Amino acid sequence: MSVHIAGIEYALPDQAFTLDDLAKQGRITSPVEALRDFGFERAWVAGDEGDGLAPRAVQRLLELTGVDPGSIGVILYAGATPASHASGEGPLAGFSYPVARLQYDFGLVNARTIGVSQTGCLGLMTAVSLGRALLTSDAALERALCVSVDVLPAGGGREILYNLISDGACAVLLERGAGPNRLVAERQVTKGYYWNCEARRNEIVAAYFPTARSVIRDTLASAAWTADDIALIVPHNVSLRSWEILLQLTALPLDRLYAGNISAKAHVISGDNFINLKDAEAEGRLRSGARLLLFNFGFGASWASLLVEH
Amino acid sequence: MAPEGSVLITGGTGAIGRPLVESFLRDGAGVVVLARDPLAETVPGVQVVKGEIQQGDTLGLDPATCARLRRRVATIIHAAALTRFDAPIEAARAVNVEGTRQVLGFAERCPNLERVCALSTVYVAGKRTGRVLEGELEHERGFVNAYEHSKYDAEQLLRASMSRLPIAVCRLSTAVGDSKTGTVHRLAAIHHAIRFLYHSLLPMLPGSAGSPVDLVATDYAVASIRYLSGEGFVPGRTWHVCAGADALGEAAVVDLAVEAFLRYRPAWRRRAIEKPAIVALETFELFRRSVEAVADPALRASVAVLAPFAPQLSFPKTFGDEQCQAALAGAGIVRPPIRDTLMNVVQYLIETNWVSRDGADGGAAA
Repeated sequence: MSVHIAGIEYALPDQAFTLDDLAKQGRITSPVEALRDFGFERAWVAGDEGDGLAPRAVQRLLELTGVDPGSIGVILYAGATPASHASGEGPLAGFSYPVARLQYDFGLVNARTIGVSQTGCLGLMTAVSLGRALLTSDAALERALCVSVDVLPAGGGREILYNLISDGACAVLLERGAGPNRLVAERQVTKGYYWNCEARRNEIVAAYFPTARSVIRDTLASAAWTADDIALIVPHNVSLRSWEILLQLTALPLDRLYAGNISAKAHVISGDNFINLKDAEAEGRLRSGARLLLFNFGFGASWASLLVEH
Repeated sequence: MAPEGSVLITGGTGAIGRPLVESFLRDGAGVVVLARDPLAETVPGVQVVKGEIQQGDTLGLDPATCARLRRRVATIIHAAALTRFDAPIEAARAVNVEGTRQVLGFAERCPNLERVCALSTVYVAGKRTGRVLEGELEHERGFVNAYEHSKYDAEQLLRASMSRLPIAVCRLSTAVGDSKTGTVHRLAAIHHAIRFLYHSLLPMLPGSAGSPVDLVATDYAVASIRYLSGEGFVPGRTWHVCAGADALGEAAVVDLAVEAFLRYRPAWRRRAIEKPAIVALETFELFRRSVEAVADPALRASVAVLAPFAPQLSFPKTFGDEQCQAALAGAGIVRPPIRDTLMNVVQYLIETNWVSRDGADGGAAA
């Protein structure tokens, strides 16, 4: 039984700041030139509209696909930080789950709701992975809605471990059966040794590359694909320099990296891969049957890759 | 204290010099060690004289000591060197070339001199690839670091002096520690690299899986030097004291270190640390530049230790040691298996709490 991506929509804040703006505001720690050398240029920063980003993405997705909201059997809601999983104030605020609100606001009356957390920037990829597993194993399910939203605290820093961070939300509709963007194979590896991000930040940077290489190689092998088969690498929008290194490690050519959004959108935490997939498709970068590699990393620490056939 | 001997050792407190001096003392042989700080830099029981190889052909000795030593000395083992891989070329030359020049100047005025045994490195071969023979020196391939370059220059100086003095050269590869006890006298770059692997701070190494990593046991190196500077001495000869054909490949060395971690610190398995990727030099350099641009001091330090020597792995070579093996065979000196040695060394490092030790000197083990 195959599962494919029936639609993707995303929402970014209305306002973007350049690296120079952010430096003046004291919201980045690395030198502007270093971040520019890493491929970054601007970050999208939410004002008051942060809570509205996920609903905006879901609204667009439902309009785009035209699916019956009642046909969606599960909502998987991802966010990297605890703030993404609670809404409102008061003693019961911790139970005021945004995923339930989405279910209600959009009339997804047959959808069970699940929060996906503690996989950092992998959140949406984890949600897609779980959605695929549910659709594959439960014949009663027809569609799964995967949503991510990440909004950093207002006025706070915009750089995490040498990467420029944007706020944003992304919604992905998974559908059982044949269709474009078929999910072919996936792999996620978690290494708990790196759970303490502050204490192990150097080790995490060092572990990133060899582990990423293993995960990508293993995923390709599981689908009997080779590096040469990959028409487009759909990245998470971290440092371009780190991508250059990783692609050299994996024998994947740099000219197949969809890299434009690193400068245009920065790292939209867990939404990157699917935002980029959407944009690449909109730009006509994908021919039918093209084989795509999506890769992401999340603090925690987890590495994941996903193979998609367009 | 042992009786004043006819053997003068420079660099008697280094990674090789110290166990070499201890070896002489164990046999009751008198040696004199030249040291900058006799109080701080000494092996118990050894005669130490205050001096420095860079301070003229008197080696900075007081006149009386200098005159007395010149009369007595029959053998000079010149082990003193600046072994830091990250040293600037000027500093490396000042010690390794000019220091050697002064030692030779001292030697020329020793009336009873019979032997000068100069310690060098197999990596005078620099960026050469393929098989490197003991008799070879000159090349134009360049060098990975100033240490290699300065030792190459020093060997040229030694060769030019061979017509006037009884000189032989022992080129060592990387001495990792004692083959039986694993004891390491001074941590060198190889030990720090293994520590970074233990701590998940070694993401990649340049080279290829099969790139030879020439390691030797320190006790084997010491026994070889003692013999080749004594009974086995042949003036004008250069010997490779190294693993030669027994050198392990780069991936095998990593595997062996990991195997030792798992055996001697079983809890290490829980970390699930990925082995470093073995990459093209270009990729390693890209990573190094990125780290230098932004990373925290700890990660920068790990890369800084690797950067001056690890690129050598991208110039794969093996060292012929036929002359050395032929000479040692007569003395019954047998090279211990490097696999066993490396396992013992990692065990020693773990049991002496090396995992939490700092003080990276970035130097060679020679």
